[in-house]
Amino acid sequence: MTRWITALRLGALALSRARLRSALTVLGFLVGIASVVIVVALGQGASGSIGGRIESLGSNVVYVFDQPQALSGARKARGATGGLRDADAEAIRREAGSVSDVTVYSSMDTRVTTSFANARTSVVGTDLFYFPVRGFELSAGRLWTRAEERAKARVCLIGPSAAVKLFGSADPVGRSVRIGRHPYTVIGTLVGKGQSPFGQDQDDRLMMPIGTWRAHVSPTLGGRVHLIMASARGFERADAAVHDIESVLRQRHRVPDGAEADFVVRSQEQFREMQERIVRVLALLLLSVAAISLFVGGVGVMNIMLVTVTERRREIGIRMALGAEPRDIQAQFLVEAVALTAMGGALGFLVALGLVTALKRGLGWSMEIGLPAVLVAGGTSLLVGILFGFLPARRAALVEPMEALRHE
Amino acid sequence: MEDGTIEQASAPLVELSDIEKNYESGPDVVRALRDVNLTIRRGELVAIVGASGSGKSTLMNVLGCLDRPTRGTYRLAGIDVTRRSSDERALVRNRLIGFVFQGFNLLARTSALENVELPLVYRGVSRTERRRRAERALGQVGLSERTGHTPSQLSGGQQQRVAIARALVTEPPLLLADEPTGNLDTRTSIEILAILQRLVFEQGITLALVTHEPDIAECATRIVTVRDGRISEDVEYRSIRDVRSTEGTRASA
Repeated sequence: MTRWITALRLGALALSRARLRSALTVLGFLVGIASVVIVVALGQGASGSIGGRIESLGSNVVYVFDQPQALSGARKARGATGGLRDADAEAIRREAGSVSDVTVYSSMDTRVTTSFANARTSVVGTDLFYFPVRGFELSAGRLWTRAEERAKARVCLIGPSAAVKLFGSADPVGRSVRIGRHPYTVIGTLVGKGQSPFGQDQDDRLMMPIGTWRAHVSPTLGGRVHLIMASARGFERADAAVHDIESVLRQRHRVPDGAEADFVVRSQEQFREMQERIVRVLALLLLSVAAISLFVGGVGVMNIMLVTVTERRREIGIRMALGAEPRDIQAQFLVEAVALTAMGGALGFLVALGLVTALKRGLGWSMEIGLPAVLVAGGTSLLVGILFGFLPARRAALVEPMEALRHE
Repeated sequence: MEDGTIEQASAPLVELSDIEKNYESGPDVVRALRDVNLTIRRGELVAIVGASGSGKSTLMNVLGCLDRPTRGTYRLAGIDVTRRSSDERALVRNRLIGFVFQGFNLLARTSALENVELPLVYRGVSRTERRRRAERALGQVGLSERTGHTPSQLSGGQQQRVAIARALVTEPPLLLADEPTGNLDTRTSIEILAILQRLVFEQGITLALVTHEPDIAECATRIVTVRDGRISEDVEYRSIRDVRSTEGTRASA
C-alpha cells in the first residue's frame, strides 16, 4: 500500500515537472475517450428513441412505396397504370382482408406566405383516413369534412413547427396562408409528433385534402400518389397485411410471378428492424473509430513514457542504489502512465459532454450521457493506462542501477 | 534477513572470497575481476586505488550489491549476498550500504531535505520521522541552513555533502564512496574528506573509498591497489593521517 502511495506522490511530481509534454499526451488520449463516450451516448440515445419514433408512425402501419424500375433495366413504359394511384388504395381497401384503413399521401416542399412570414414547408395532400392510420390528432380547430374533400375546398391544417414558422406566437386557426397564387384557410392545428424515423420533422407541414392538393398545389401528378399507407387489423396481422397488399397490387400492376414489383410494401416492424440495423452499423463504425483513436492515444502515452524512462535512467539508478526495489520503480512509472490516461479520460469526458449537449440542442440528435458512459470512460482510461504503461514501467524496473549511474 | 542478525554479526563487515567478474563485450569476454579476496573489518577506512580500467569500479559495484560477481562469494555483515534477487539486493543496499558518487547523483529539482529522505521513503519510514532524521543528517554535514535548496542552488561541495547526508541517514554499517572528490577542487575535496574521516573515527562507520588519486588515498588506514582485475597490493597503516594535516603540508610545500 505504501508502495502505491509513494508511487502516486512521485508520479504527480514528475508529471507536474513536464507540464507541456504531459498536456500534449493527455490531449492525444482525450480524443479517444471523447469518441468512446460519444459512441456510448449515441448508442443509448438511439436504443431509447428508435422505439419511440417507430411508434410515432402510427399503429401497425404498412407502407406502400412507389419503386420506379429504372434500376432493373429496360422495361416498357407503364403508361396509365404506372406508379401508385387512388385506385390502388381503393382496391386494397376492397380486397385486402387484413387491412382496416387505407390512406393516400402526396407531399411537396414549397414556399408558403402569411401576413407574418414567408417560409418553406412541406405541403401534404391526403384524405381523412390518414388521421386514424398515422395517429395524428388535432390540438385546436377541426378536420375538413367529406363535403370539403369533394369540393376541393381550400382549407388546411397546420403542424406546430410550421405554425411557429409562419405565424409566430399568433393563433393560426381562421387565418389564411398563401401557396402559389391561392389562399387557403387554416381550420385546425395538429398535435406535435416529433421526428419521423427518417429524421424529418413531422410537425413542419400543412395538410389538405388530396383533391385540393392536386387541383391547386401540384396539378401535374394526375391520379398518382407518393405513398399508400394502410393499417393492419392488429399488430399480429401486419405480416398478413403486407402479403395481402402485395398480392392485390401485383395483380393490378400485372407483375408476373417471380418478377420484381414496381412498388415496395413495408411494415412498421420491418422499419424497426431496418433502423436498428442502421444504428448497429453506425455504432460499430463509430466504435471502431473510437477504438482506433484510443489505440493511437495509448501508443502516445506509451511513447512518452518510454522517452521519460530513458531520460530518467539516472534517477531510476539513484533510486535503486538507495534501496528502491524494481517493483517500486515499476509502480512509480505505471502510476505516471495511469495518471496521464486518467486526466485524458476526465477531460475527454467533459469534451464529450459538451459535444453531446451541443448536438442534442443544435441538431436534435437523441443522445444520452448516463452512468454507462461514465463507467466506460473511467474503465477504458484505467485499462489503457495500465496496458500501455506496463511496457515502459517494466523497462524502468529492469534498469541496471550500475549502468544508469555510470557517468553522464 | 533481519536487523537482529546484522547486529549480532561479529564477523568482518566485508568478506570477498575468490571473486571473479566477467563481462561479455561482443564476442570477447572481459575478465574485470579475478581471484579477489578482500576482508574489511568494521571501522576501517579503506581506499581502493587503481588506474582506470583496472577493475576498481567493478569491485565497487560488487561491494555495493549493484552487480553480482560471476564466481565467488560475498558476505556482508555476515550475510551471504552473492546470489540474491534484485529485490533482495535492493533491500541490502537500503539497509546496509550508503552510497556517495562522483557525480553526486542527487535528484534534480528536489530539495536537499527530500533527497536525504529518499532512502527512508523506500524503507517505509513515516513522514515526520523521515523529516527528523534527514534534518539531523544534514546537520552532521553542516547543511542545516540549506535544507530547502535544490541541487542547482548548491555548490559542488554542498551537493556532495547532501549526498553524504543521504548515505548516512539510514545509519548503514558500510559507506561506499566512488571518487567522491572527482568533480571537486582541492580545497573542497579536503573539506569532503574531512567529513568522511570524521564519520569513520567518531561514528565508527566503515568506509570504502574508490579513487585514482594517491593524495586522496593517503587519508585512509589501508590502501588496496587493483591492477588488471587483481588485488596487487594491500597495505595497512598503523595510524592514519588527518586530512587537516595534509592541508598543512600542502600549504607549506
